[in-house]
Amino acid sequence: MPPSPVNPLNPPAVLPGSASVRLQGLSKSFAGTIKALDRVSLDIGAGEFFALLGPSGCGKTTTLRLVAGFETPDEGRIVVGGRDVTEMPVHRRDMGVIFQSYALFPHRTVAENVGFGLRMRKIPRQEIDRRVSAALAQVALTGLEGRRPAQLSGGQQQRVALARAIVIEPPVLLCDEPLGALDRRLRQQMQFELKQLQKQLGVTLLFVTHDQEEALALSDRIAVMNAGRIEQVGAPAEIYERPRTRFVADFVGEINIVDGTWSGGRLLAADGRAMPAPPAAGRDGPGAIAIRPERTMMTAPPAGLLSGRIVTTNYLGGQTLYRIAVDSGASILVKDGRGEGNSVRAIGERVGVLWRAEDAVVLEA
Amino acid sequence: MRAKVDLGVIAYFGLNGAIVFFLLAPIAIVSVFAVNPTPYISFPPVGFTLAWFAKFFANPDFINALWLSLKVAAAVLVLSMLIGATAALALVRGNLPGARLATALFMSPLMLPAILTGLALFQIYLLAGIGRPIWGLVMGHTVVAVPYVIRTTLAVLHNFDRRLEEAAAALGADPARVFLEVTLPLIRPGVIAGGIFAFIVSFDQFPVSLFLVVPKGETLPVVLFNYMKFDLDGAIAAASMVSIALALTVVILLEWRIGLRAYLKL
Repeated sequence: MPPSPVNPLNPPAVLPGSASVRLQGLSKSFAGTIKALDRVSLDIGAGEFFALLGPSGCGKTTTLRLVAGFETPDEGRIVVGGRDVTEMPVHRRDMGVIFQSYALFPHRTVAENVGFGLRMRKIPRQEIDRRVSAALAQVALTGLEGRRPAQLSGGQQQRVALARAIVIEPPVLLCDEPLGALDRRLRQQMQFELKQLQKQLGVTLLFVTHDQEEALALSDRIAVMNAGRIEQVGAPAEIYERPRTRFVADFVGEINIVDGTWSGGRLLAADGRAMPAPPAAGRDGPGAIAIRPERTMMTAPPAGLLSGRIVTTNYLGGQTLYRIAVDSGASILVKDGRGEGNSVRAIGERVGVLWRAEDAVVLEA
Repeated sequence: MRAKVDLGVIAYFGLNGAIVFFLLAPIAIVSVFAVNPTPYISFPPVGFTLAWFAKFFANPDFINALWLSLKVAAAVLVLSMLIGATAALALVRGNLPGARLATALFMSPLMLPAILTGLALFQIYLLAGIGRPIWGLVMGHTVVAVPYVIRTTLAVLHNFDRRLEEAAAALGADPARVFLEVTLPLIRPGVIAGGIFAFIVSFDQFPVSLFLVVPKGETLPVVLFNYMKFDLDGAIAAASMVSIALALTVVILLEWRIGLRAYLKL
């Protein structure tokens, strides 16, 4: 593995140039048919690593393209660093953009690619050379100045794209699935480097991804999007531990959703038994709770809230993920780690499932 | 199993060899005629002479026509690249209503027999009282040559990654700079490939020229045609060899100076 190009000892700092991004009620439709974005509002702080997470077609890329200025919103405003840029053309916005396909200029060398933005800013030749060298050093590509993009590996191209975007010292860096084209190993390394670089530069980074692991690992905050709307905004732990809607719960990680009926602050399953859940006074009617597989436990069948038969066992190394077909017809995932006493259980074994009330999350309808 | 593979290989090379032979044999025969000393065209050759080349270069009619053809073809090359590239850009990028119809219209000279195009242009020039100036000839050739440039440029544009232009814009390039720095260099190979076709289409053009040239202002193919009506000697073959050599030189020069470079280095 090549040495990490980013010096992790540099203290994080918010550069004076780094800017906040405020989206106010952005809506966008394409060709008059689909509403790609529906009144999206977000407040992204200066120097924040912010992820837009969601399935394809949820509007995350459209949001990014609106901020970059590649598209204009039908409604709403975009304010960057306190300045309304909604009407500003792309080339005046000073955004650093990294595309999934990298979009390196194939007819130019690495140095010409990286220096492009500086040349457009009419910066003197010598300073361009100096800053290009510094940027290439920052992403560990020194010595490849004269190569063409086609002569580089995917990881190197990714770094050139990164250098090209940061060399103009943008107040905001926009990344559209920048690691999507890399293999898993390289991807993890680049994730680490991107995060380090972002902290080191102190730049505001808006990151689009459909990979929930990536979003959880990298971001300061995440906005989970679905069908052109924002479902939930929060820190990774908050999104994971306390998903607010069924969509967020389902999309981020594996989770068990138990449907029932709220009555007197308790969730009653179809057979009338109360499911352990935080008291939810004031709720009535159909509802659901969600419990992560690692928060559920297996017991002897009579002691469980639900009982069923183990259908599959996935050994994950250190932990085992069981899928249990419960008698009501649903299936429940249980992640069991602690080896003491409970050895790996067999497929077909009858078990009971239970969880603690405080580990269940009440989902909004 | 093994025999089957060999048979496939034989068929493959046989078929391709036959195609290459079919394409090149006429040129080979003409080159033989050009150096055969008999005063009429015959095969097999009985000797070697450069006399027919001497006759060709000594004839001012041939040389004037050759110059005219080269000048017209050069003008057609430039014009059709300009018109073809801008038309292709407008068709793909312009968001024009009826872009498909316009494309079909631009391409129509390819479907139409060139002799009809020539006749139609001749009648239009006559009706408009233009006469038959050289620029009229150039325009006639351009009409038939432009589709080639449009076709090759469209091919490049359809595979064009628009994100490259967005990346340039995000880096601070205004729309004019984006075009000059990114779009133009990247479509250039397509435009030049079309331009090479355009040059050859014009240099070889007979049916359109037939209607649009004036006496003493004829292009080489027309002069050769008129000459053949009365004489069929080796000078014709020599003229063919010269025009093939010239066309080839221009193609190689263009490809070497600009075409290949566009791929390798800006």
